[in-house]
Amino acid sequence: MPPGLDALKHIVVLMMENRSFDHMLGSVPGIGGIDDAEAYSNADTTGALVQPQALAEFQSQLQPDPDHHFPAVDLQIFGGDPNRRANMQGFVKSYYNQQQNVAHSHEILYYFKQSDLPVLTTLATEFAVFNRWFASIPGPTICNRAFAHYGTSFGRVDMNLLYINEPFKSIYDRLVGAPPHTSKLYYYDTASSTMEITNLLQHQPEVFGTFDQFQKDCETGNLPDYSFVEPNYSDHDSDTGEEVANDQHPDHNVQAGEAFIALVYNAIKGNAALWASTALLIVYDEHGGIFDHVIPPLCTPDQFTATANDTGTGQPFAFDRLGVRVPAILVSPWIPKGTIVSRVFDHASIPATVTKFFLGDYSPRSPRETSADVFIEPQGPAVDPARNLLSLDVMRTDCPDFE
Amino acid sequence: MGVIRVPKVPHDAYNPNRPVSALLKIQIEHMHEAEKRLPTRYRSEIYPNAIKTEGEAAEYIRLVTEGIHEAHADAAARRAKPAKKRKGVIEIAAVTDERAERQTGRKARKIKKGGKN
Repeated sequence: MPPGLDALKHIVVLMMENRSFDHMLGSVPGIGGIDDAEAYSNADTTGALVQPQALAEFQSQLQPDPDHHFPAVDLQIFGGDPNRRANMQGFVKSYYNQQQNVAHSHEILYYFKQSDLPVLTTLATEFAVFNRWFASIPGPTICNRAFAHYGTSFGRVDMNLLYINEPFKSIYDRLVGAPPHTSKLYYYDTASSTMEITNLLQHQPEVFGTFDQFQKDCETGNLPDYSFVEPNYSDHDSDTGEEVANDQHPDHNVQAGEAFIALVYNAIKGNAALWASTALLIVYDEHGGIFDHVIPPLCTPDQFTATANDTGTGQPFAFDRLGVRVPAILVSPWIPKGTIVSRVFDHASIPATVTKFFLGDYSPRSPRETSADVFIEPQGPAVDPARNLLSLDVMRTDCPDFE
Repeated sequence: MGVIRVPKVPHDAYNPNRPVSALLKIQIEHMHEAEKRLPTRYRSEIYPNAIKTEGEAAEYIRLVTEGIHEAHADAAARRAKPAKKRKGVIEIAAVTDERAERQTGRKARKIKKGGKN
């Protein structure tokens, strides 16, 4: 087995909130971002063509929060085309619907300059950036996060996912049910808590920890096999002072999220043994209604169908198309600098990868999860070198430091 | 690769009075669903429909999250407590005999006192 895979003992996933690939990484040259702004123009409601521009601001620009519920995302992807050909032409129209302000509606196409986001763009250029990682559903947070935890949203395309249906177990259940494997879901603190659908929190609070605990576990080398890290979802007071939301959900400060990503990276890199044996995936749950130019591909249908009433578009949805493209970066000292991965992934790839790597064959899993690609090759002698991202023979010593 | 400076978060980024987003509203709803299943003593006594700001949302979410953890911790502590030692069968039979003797004696004394024969 390649030494990087041989050394790998821990997978950590940090899932941020509501930013598209082009919005965050579009300015990085040569990775599939905004290489041709003119080609990605959207018409506004006056018929004028508007181009994406590097004018995104850290806070106070995306007010109100861009609509990213199923009907709005449908408009963003299909642009209102009566023949329902996906064209990514409906972002400005969709944002206009919220305020009826033509000039303001253009801001949904704005993206950050590379120098604005030194943490995320450095990680994207230093390690492996996925330029075809899509949200699992063209819809909002909860159903998309459910794909990361369960490999399915149990037929929901909305935020009202309160209960799960057997037989599909969460990735945490699968691992803790197979000792000696271990797993933990780290929320920022109890005031931020979890965006998991409260199912696990109610029934298995022992799989949760705080971000303080995550940092201690990194320091002491007690990180579980699989960790899922949640950012802080709200501005609130704590015993240690003011906690600024760092999830990057509009209208939260994007720089606070940058600092949080660096904190997670530093916690792992600060322990040499852990750094050598951990892969960190940084990914966003969905695009948050913000522009991206890549048409989401079709995918294997899930075994559920959302009714026309549930979707709010007049059309049922068989979970056979992915959501809008989001930033995704895999970090490990065994990954060659500047790796660009153009295979298709979505959040079902997370439980698919973790399950295959730690548990091997496992069933039952949802049709979406079983057909999802994996970003770390399963353990075993027959590793396909073309697919293995942790491919270096010797661990890198030139990885960036953040301070 | 050199050292990358992490951007400083501006002080005015902090605003706990910011109105709750649609996402936080949903998180509050989910927490409320979970809270309904908690025994009363672990509940927050906050009316979730009256929550308007991020700071208020965070306080409610904190109380429910901690309530869930406490309820589970208490249940685990109860499970871990050693069970009361049960008396063996012979011991129980002996106790029953003693009680019967005592009752017989008491009856006899009552009869004596009442002068009945």
